[in-house]
Amino acid sequence: MNVLNFNSEQCARIRRHLDAYLSNELLVETTSDVLRHLESCEACSRELEARTRVREALRRAAVTQIPPEELRQAIQRQIRKRQPEFWGGSPQLTWAAALVVVVVLVGVMAQQWIRLRQGRRMVASVLALGVSDHLQCAIKGHNYPDIANPPEQLRQKLGPQYAGLLEVVQQKLPGFEVLEAHICSVQGSPRKYVHFITRGRGTILSVILTRREGEQLPNGKRFVSGNSGSVNLYEAHLDGMNAAGFESKGYFGFVVSDLSQAMTVQIASELAPPLKVALDAGSESQARVDLGEVPFAARWHRHS
Amino acid sequence: MFFHPKLRVEDFEAEAMPHFPDLYRTARLLAQDRAESEDLVQEVYLEAWKSFHRFQMGTNCRAWLFKILFHRLHHFRRRWAKAAKMEAWENPEDQDNLIAETPIPQEIRDEDVLEALGRVPSEFREVVLLADVQEFSYKEIADTLKLPLGTVMSRLSRGRKLLRRELAGVAQSFGITPAKDRERAGESA
Repeated sequence: MNVLNFNSEQCARIRRHLDAYLSNELLVETTSDVLRHLESCEACSRELEARTRVREALRRAAVTQIPPEELRQAIQRQIRKRQPEFWGGSPQLTWAAALVVVVVLVGVMAQQWIRLRQGRRMVASVLALGVSDHLQCAIKGHNYPDIANPPEQLRQKLGPQYAGLLEVVQQKLPGFEVLEAHICSVQGSPRKYVHFITRGRGTILSVILTRREGEQLPNGKRFVSGNSGSVNLYEAHLDGMNAAGFESKGYFGFVVSDLSQAMTVQIASELAPPLKVALDAGSESQARVDLGEVPFAARWHRHS
Repeated sequence: MFFHPKLRVEDFEAEAMPHFPDLYRTARLLAQDRAESEDLVQEVYLEAWKSFHRFQMGTNCRAWLFKILFHRLHHFRRRWAKAAKMEAWENPEDQDNLIAETPIPQEIRDEDVLEALGRVPSEFREVVLLADVQEFSYKEIADTLKLPLGTVMSRLSRGRKLLRRELAGVAQSFGITPAKDRERAGESA
């Protein structure tokens, strides 16, 4: 082995940089120094050439290692067999993820349950308006005659705004006789009700309308019991009575009786669409309903 | 993120399989034999596929695969006997000798290079392969091997010299003499 005798300190310095020069890792200024020296120093140029030759020889030799095609295919087969594990197979992360999923699910379910409960409460509180009037006026107060009042008298009691609705109720309630129609209220509340008391199928059935005062029935299919002519129907069982209700722009409508829930809803589905049309339109030919004015004062009577 | 979109094997293959030849060659020149290098490459790909969700598309897949390769390789090495050569080269006297600029043969055959490379201790061999064959930068090598930059530079310098010395030795044993020796022989004749 030959031991190098450096020509100068400069050669020693440049040769210390030759590895980095070969790997293209020198700063631009240092590269210039190396190049300048190489131009004037044959020994260092030969040394660089020798190092470059070894590197090129190594590259050529490495390429002779031909990767076996069967290994590539075996790897691809293995990969296709295995789907990678989520979160790198870490049990802590898996548990944490499971916990998050459970917490989210419980949260969503609790929220759904609360919304369902709130919705049902809204339905019950609105339908309770109709049930309370039916119970107080028709059932406990017995404010109807055994023989039906004549229609003319009923129209008078209803006044010009609601007289037209009598015909709708009579037509859409086959098998029921309208015994009484008036405007009333229940004790302790200034709310007024347009009340039709009917008899049929062995029982008393009320058709009740009242103005909405900010209340509303909840949206959502799960609260709706049925749909008739694009009118949503809601139902509730309150104080031993079955009630079915609907809403128009300015009114709630109720059918209340002790008939079965299904029958009550069926009757309401017949009545709701024409009543809604009449209430919404407020037209002369239908019911003369003026949604802008409520001239009840002279006509309504209070049941105690 | 706990959830990630379903990983597609096609995406993985498109990203990772083009580097198969480079990985295989490196493994073949660092592992003890062909069977071991094949096991190694296979493990690298399975490991990479398993953790592909951690790989960011568009980043340097080649560097990522090499990092896994060397992680596995160092794991393999724990099973191998520690090379006696390594201890020899750590000897300061030998290090001094490495300053010598060994003359290299005029004709270098691929077999000679591979044999000479096989005699270079693996700690130096891997740095030489990464720098001179795979053309990784010093910083990438330091990152791949988890070494300080200075250690990479010194191992590369020593690795190149060792290769050159081994190459001269291998060539001579096959009857190939360095140019200077031939010139000297001609003069004396």
